[in-house]
Amino acid sequence: MSRKGVGIGAFDRSRLTSAHFASHGSNLRATNAEALSTQLSVFRSLLQQFAQTHAKDIRSDPAFRAQFARMCSVIGVDPLASSHTTEGGGGLWAQLLGESVNDFYFELAVRVVEVCGVTRGENGGLIGLAELTERVSKGRMEGSSEISEDDVRRAVETLGPLGGSYAVLQVGRKEYIRSVPRELSGDQRAVVEAVQVLGYVSVGMLRDNLGWETARCKTVIDDLMSEGMLWVDKQTKGEWEYWSPSFMVDTDGAVKEGE
Amino acid sequence: MAAASTAAAGADAPFRFPREYSFPAFFTRQTNLTTHHAQLSKWSALVLAYARHHRVFRLGLSAAADSDLFYNRRLDRRLGMPDIRELLDFMRRDGRIEYASGGGGDGGGGEGGGGEGDVVFVYWRKPEEWARKIEKYVEETGQKGSVLTVYELGQGEGTRGTDIHGIDNEVLLKALNVLVRKGRAQIFGQDDSQGVKFF
Repeated sequence: MSRKGVGIGAFDRSRLTSAHFASHGSNLRATNAEALSTQLSVFRSLLQQFAQTHAKDIRSDPAFRAQFARMCSVIGVDPLASSHTTEGGGGLWAQLLGESVNDFYFELAVRVVEVCGVTRGENGGLIGLAELTERVSKGRMEGSSEISEDDVRRAVETLGPLGGSYAVLQVGRKEYIRSVPRELSGDQRAVVEAVQVLGYVSVGMLRDNLGWETARCKTVIDDLMSEGMLWVDKQTKGEWEYWSPSFMVDTDGAVKEGE
Repeated sequence: MAAASTAAAGADAPFRFPREYSFPAFFTRQTNLTTHHAQLSKWSALVLAYARHHRVFRLGLSAAADSDLFYNRRLDRRLGMPDIRELLDFMRRDGRIEYASGGGGDGGGGEGGGGEGDVVFVYWRKPEEWARKIEKYVEETGQKGSVLTVYELGQGEGTRGTDIHGIDNEVLLKALNVLVRKGRAQIFGQDDSQGVKFF
């Protein structure tokens, strides 16, 4: 009897021990989670304090705002996304940062959409970040705070949920905002990058510098032309030149100096 | 140019050309339809701003083609005559220009021998807009019900300092005719001594 008992008891014991281990484990996890949540709440309140103390700086100083936004993204919180999606949670970040910081980016995004819409005819939906920033700043009311390229970049990112059409695009050393749902091919990117150097390209330039066949150069240029991303200048002494519309801005400074 | 005498007011400050004016491809007709439309809109805005700045009421095309409006000497780029014509068609559909009726009208001579269709009125303000300006002026100066000569309105001391002063005679008549059609004014008299009464 006792032997039998031992056998069953042993099963019970091992079940018991494993249950003990399990409960101990869950205890540990609980304390761990508790500690974490304490840390998180401490962190939250600290961030809240920080945001409150520096609310004015965040709103008025573009460099500071950029740093703050960068800090938030490094620790894995998106002050823009989490504030409006968590309606039930009372908009933690909205409370934290004050509505104005969110609204700042959303308003900026509206302006970005406007400028992209107005200029799409002349640039085919590809606009330089610097140019876009300049145009957006110009349209703002007198006395409103300055905005930086970083702000515009972030504003564009808030447009993500609207679908794939708005995106930041790095080509060569320049950043662009794309406002049409269209990807550039590798060849097109190469041409867009080449255009940055002088403001224009020609078939000959592409052939010599990229080592492409003439036909390939022509095809890419025609593609970009048909998408409205290049303008042709036929009044050259030699080959036709294909200009990037973003140079309508970049030459402006040079003209002012030249006058 | 016909407007040269009235250009003095705006001539002190040089006209600031928009940035696209220093963009070489701006002077070549673009083949992409969307781009071309954007190009025409920009050119249209440029012509209107230029005309407004210099108070140009009528533009002689052959002369303008060689002026800095259509010819950027620094870049050595120009808008060719066919492209100018196309631009004007675009602006005409918008009600922003009108070809002067044959023979160049009065005072339209000396624009160079482009023949018919060489001179256009540039409506940086449309006749209807001028009509509103005139009506407002008449109202504000309490001249409703009285008779003014057309010359007085355009060149007289009374309108000095207002936008109306120095207006092209033919444009002025177009504006007054807008008011006539609305029953707000009546024009009478001969060609060179016309009077107008406002109601």
